[in-house]
Amino acid sequence: MSTAVLPAAFAELEPWVADWAKPTRAERYAMRLSKAFPELIAFYDAVAPHAEAAVEHLNRGDLPSLDDGDTRLLQLLYSFILVSYAVNIFDQPKIPDSGSAFFDCVVEPTV
Amino acid sequence: MTDIQERLATGKGKFTPRYPELGTGPVSYEDSISPEAFEAEREAIFERTWLYVGRSERIARPGSYFTRELPGGLASIVVARAVDGSVQAFHNVCAHRGNKVVWQEHPSEESSGTCRQFQCKYHGWRYGLDGQVVHITNQQEFFDLDPSLLRMPKVHAEEFAGFVFVNLADDPVPLRTHLGDRILELEAYPFDRMTQRYGFSTRINGNWKLAIDSVCEWYHPAYVHARFIDKDIAKAEKKVPPVDSYHYELFPPHMLTSVPGPPPLPPREPGTAGPPVRDQKWVYRLFRAGLFGPDDVPDLGEPPGFLNAGEIAYWGNDQFWLFPNLSVQIWQRGYYITYAYWPESVDSHVYEIDLYFVPPSNAAERLAQELVVDSTVEFAMQDVNTIEATHSALKTRRQRQFHLSDQELLIRAFHTYVRQAVEAHQAVAAPPGGDR
Repeated sequence: MSTAVLPAAFAELEPWVADWAKPTRAERYAMRLSKAFPELIAFYDAVAPHAEAAVEHLNRGDLPSLDDGDTRLLQLLYSFILVSYAVNIFDQPKIPDSGSAFFDCVVEPTV
Repeated sequence: MTDIQERLATGKGKFTPRYPELGTGPVSYEDSISPEAFEAEREAIFERTWLYVGRSERIARPGSYFTRELPGGLASIVVARAVDGSVQAFHNVCAHRGNKVVWQEHPSEESSGTCRQFQCKYHGWRYGLDGQVVHITNQQEFFDLDPSLLRMPKVHAEEFAGFVFVNLADDPVPLRTHLGDRILELEAYPFDRMTQRYGFSTRINGNWKLAIDSVCEWYHPAYVHARFIDKDIAKAEKKVPPVDSYHYELFPPHMLTSVPGPPPLPPREPGTAGPPVRDQKWVYRLFRAGLFGPDDVPDLGEPPGFLNAGEIAYWGNDQFWLFPNLSVQIWQRGYYITYAYWPESVDSHVYEIDLYFVPPSNAAERLAQELVVDSTVEFAMQDVNTIEATHSALKTRRQRQFHLSDQELLIRAFHTYVRQAVEAHQAVAAPPGGDR
């Protein structure tokens, strides 16, 4: 028996799991900064058509105790939100003119 | 005027003339670049004013504690909940040979946990939750030691509305006296319902006051944050609220500014966000959230009467500036953010942002909060990059003063209050004509 990487309805998103289903904000932000801009657009365009259905699917689960597949799906959506600023506002991975400015995340929810 | 500007305009005129004691002339910025000014502020303000160090939820039960490394070597302290429920604070220094008592893995990093006593890692001396020594190992080997006089040195600590403050002075005024009637009203807000916390920290190469200046005025958003307002940045100026739609109020040394914000989106059926597009407005619609908060606002009961004192038509938030270095920002959409600024040196400070939400009950609420956090931090990064640019340019001393508009009233007030605090302390420490 194998454990599904993502819930069956979202199997199409599995190629994005390795890079973007990360448990911490720091990892997700580091991934955004490490990617060339076209790769961020590709990720955004891949997730966007599934995003609303994914929220509905996850809403049926119990938030603090989602199974592994649902947790990965939720993490993809966290990454999607983080990437949306680069794609829709900044037209590049980094905030323009932000120099060396960066915030360390010192506390975040566990799920 | 554009649509938004017509809807929000009040015609109430300028605020600065309401405070004639502040004047309207240019303001020297020497206090932001002079090492002497920094030393004077540190002694007059940071060593003797109530400073916010963390929320009471971090020390919810007797025995729970956290440590703080107050930047710039100001102090290294332990904050703990005693058995009697009181909050206790003390310097994190052993009475034996001065070792740091409470730390994990790395002595310069902050830590937290729960315990019955603190034990020094060096020679095993133990301290109670009030910092008093309770056990000295091999005590019989010492000479004339009186354990009742030995403790980790006390720091005054008090709580207000679930905010823990400390004061490094020997004999400070009570916290509530420092806060004053207007700030005491915050006690009516249900901060304790908002326990879902996101915390951020960064070091900024600029004076701490320049950082406060950068976010207590509503002149900059159309420029610093133009891309968020419109991808065609030339249009951003037309899309920000008009200058008279904001509210400013001073209750020295504390301050308030309130901002308008968009009303929450109406509820919608699942599956109606529309086809995906590369447009942030679609992302906001999808997740039902934006910079001004989630569209589905938690039920917190009747809002306390102290909010939106300026009666802004579409109220977004109140930003209470608690002297010297804390902003408590209460949002119409049922969450709050604290901003704290800790000077390290004349030209650097540590900046802490903490966002607090009602714990989400499902994934949609969780994602809406995630989006609010991301928006806030992306905006904040735009603000902080400006501070370094400002500080490095000011240091050249090729411009000598600020020209402050009515929109920058709080900057005028804040620098005045800092200067007054320094002068008041210096007058006591060295009265004119008197010997020190």
